[in-house]
Amino acid sequence: MDLQLLVPGIIFGLSIGSIFFLMAIGLSLCFGLMRIISLDQLLYYSLGAYLTYTVSVASGSVWLGMLAGIAIAALASLAVERLVFPRIYERELTFSMITSFGILIGGVGIIKFFWGVVPRPVAIPTLAQVNILGTSVPVYRLVVIGIAALVFVAIWLFLNRTIIGKAIRAGIENVDHVEGLGINVSRLFTITFIIAGTLSGLAGGLHAPLIMVDPQMGLEVLAFVFMVVIIGGLGSIKGTLVSAFLVGQVVSLGSLVYAPLAQMAPFAIMLLILLVKPTGLYGSALLKR
Amino acid sequence: MTKALRWWWGLLLAFGLIAAARLFVPLPFLIEVLIFSIYTMGCNFLLGRVGFISFGQPAYLAAGAYGTAFYLFYFGTNPYIGILAGIASGLAVSALVGPLFVRLRSDYFALVNLALAVIIYYLMQKVLADVTKGDNGLWFLTRMTSTPLIDIATPRGFFVFALFVAFALWAFYKYLDDSIFGACCLATKQNEDKLEFLGYSNFRVRLVAFLIANTTTALAGAMYAVYLGFVSPEIASPHRAADPVVVTILGGTGTLYGPIVGAVAYTGMKDVISKLIGNWELFIGLLLVLIMLAGEKGIWGTAQPYLERLFTRRKARGVAAVRAEARR
Repeated sequence: MDLQLLVPGIIFGLSIGSIFFLMAIGLSLCFGLMRIISLDQLLYYSLGAYLTYTVSVASGSVWLGMLAGIAIAALASLAVERLVFPRIYERELTFSMITSFGILIGGVGIIKFFWGVVPRPVAIPTLAQVNILGTSVPVYRLVVIGIAALVFVAIWLFLNRTIIGKAIRAGIENVDHVEGLGINVSRLFTITFIIAGTLSGLAGGLHAPLIMVDPQMGLEVLAFVFMVVIIGGLGSIKGTLVSAFLVGQVVSLGSLVYAPLAQMAPFAIMLLILLVKPTGLYGSALLKR
Repeated sequence: MTKALRWWWGLLLAFGLIAAARLFVPLPFLIEVLIFSIYTMGCNFLLGRVGFISFGQPAYLAAGAYGTAFYLFYFGTNPYIGILAGIASGLAVSALVGPLFVRLRSDYFALVNLALAVIIYYLMQKVLADVTKGDNGLWFLTRMTSTPLIDIATPRGFFVFALFVAFALWAFYKYLDDSIFGACCLATKQNEDKLEFLGYSNFRVRLVAFLIANTTTALAGAMYAVYLGFVSPEIASPHRAADPVVVTILGGTGTLYGPIVGAVAYTGMKDVISKLIGNWELFIGLLLVLIMLAGEKGIWGTAQPYLERLFTRRKARGVAAVRAEARR
C-alpha cells in the first residue's frame, strides 16, 4: 500500500479510535464500579452532538457548541442517574441493559421531537491541513486525537492521584470494603456516572463535525463502542485504550483494503478474541456481586 | 386433565380472537402481529426460560428469510418448500454459532449476537451482493406458485396459514414448558451448579434451547419472506435489533401469552402513535423503563393474576351451583 494513503488512513483510524475511547472509558468505569451496562451513554453522545449543532449554528463557534453539549450531557446524565439508576444498581446485569436501552430509545424520541429526523451537518472548526510525511492531513483530526490523549492523562491522574479516584479504583476491586471505610458509595456512583456521561457528550461533540448528526447516531456507534469495551475487557481502562485504537485502525485500514471489510472485520476480531479469552484482552473475571 | 383443557381453551380463545379481529382490523396488521409474535416467541423463550438476552435476533431472522429467498429466487417456486428451506438455513446458522455462543456469559451473549447481526447485515448487503442483489433485494412475489389446500401466495391464505403455524408453535412451547427439558432450562437460568449436580449438562440444555429458539426466529423470517415476496438486507439491520427484546418485556417475559400481547401492543402503538404524533420511540422507551421499574412483569404478567381470579371465582361459583343441584 502506498504511503500517500497509509498516513491519512492511520490518522483517520486514530481519530475514530479516540472517539470510541472517550465513550468506552465511561462504559468501562460504570461496569467496573457499579456492575451495570449503561446503554444510555449513547444518548448523552447524541445529545452532545445535537447541542454542538444547535449552538454552533446559533453562535457560529463549534467549540462553544461542544462546551454546551458537554454541559447538557452532564446534566442529563445527572438527572437520569438520580431518577432511575438507584433502582437498577441492585439488580442483575441484563436488567440494567434493558432499562437503559429503554432510556436510550426514549431519548431518541425526545431528540426527534426537538430536532426532527433529517440529518444535519456540523461545520468543521478548522479546515487547515498539515503536512505529515509528504501528505496533507486535516488538523481537526489531530485535535481530536490530542483531546483524547489529554482526557486519558486526566483520567489517569484522577484515578491515581485524587482521593475520589482512589476510592473508585478501590470500589472496582470491592465496593463493600469501600463502604466500610465510611465513603459514601452512592455519591461515588453518581460521580462516576456523570464522568461517563460527560465523556460521552464530549465524544458526541467531537464526532459531530466528522459525520452528520441524526437521531439514530447513537444506535449506529453502539455496536462499535460495545465491541471496544468487550475486546478490551469490561472494567479495564488500559484494555479500553488498547482496543479502542485497535478497532479504530481496523476500521480505517480495513476500508483501504476492501470497503465492506471496514464494518465487518472488527466484529470478526471480537468473535475470535472472545472465543480465545471470554473476558476480553485485559478483563479479569469480574462477576456480578 | 382439566388443567390441560384450561390452557387449550385459553389458547383457542386467544387465536379465535385474532381470527375474529379479521372482521374489524385490516389484514396486513394482523399478519404483521402474527409474524412478529412468532419472532418474539424465540426471544421470549431465551430470555424468560434460559436467561439469555439477545440483541442479535435479526441475524437468525435474516438467516431464515434469506434461506427462503434463495430457494424461491433461484431454484423452486413452491412457497411451502421455501419456508422449509428457511427453517433449515436458520437451524444451520444457529448450529454453527451455537456451540461457541452458549458458553458465554449473558451480557457477552447479548453483544456477540448483535455482532453476528451486523456481520450478516454487511455480508448480505456488500460481500455477497452478486447473489443477494445488495440493497435492491431479491424479488420473487410473482415466482411463487399457488399451493393446494391453503394458498399462501395470497394474503388471505397466508393469514390462515400464519394462524395455524402460530397456534402450533404456542402448543409446542406450552408442551416444552411442562416437559423435563423446560424444567432444565429454568434450572440453568436460576442455578446452573445445581443442574450439574442433578446430572444434566448446562451446555447441552442451553445449546438445545438456543437451537429451538433461533429456529423459531428463522421460521418468522421465512414467513416474512413469503408474505412480502421480497427480502433485502434491511431485515438484518442492527437498528431494529432490540425490537424482539422490547416486545418480550412489553408482553411479559417468560409468559405464554406475553409475545402475542406484546406484539399486538407494539404493532398497534407503532401504528397509532406514529400516525397521531409521529414519535413513538419516546412512548416505547418510557413504557419499557416504567415496566422494568414496576417489577418487569409486562402487560400480560400484570393482567394475568386479575384474569385468573376473575375466571376461578366464576368457575368456583359454577361448581358450587352444580353441587347444590346434585344435592337437591
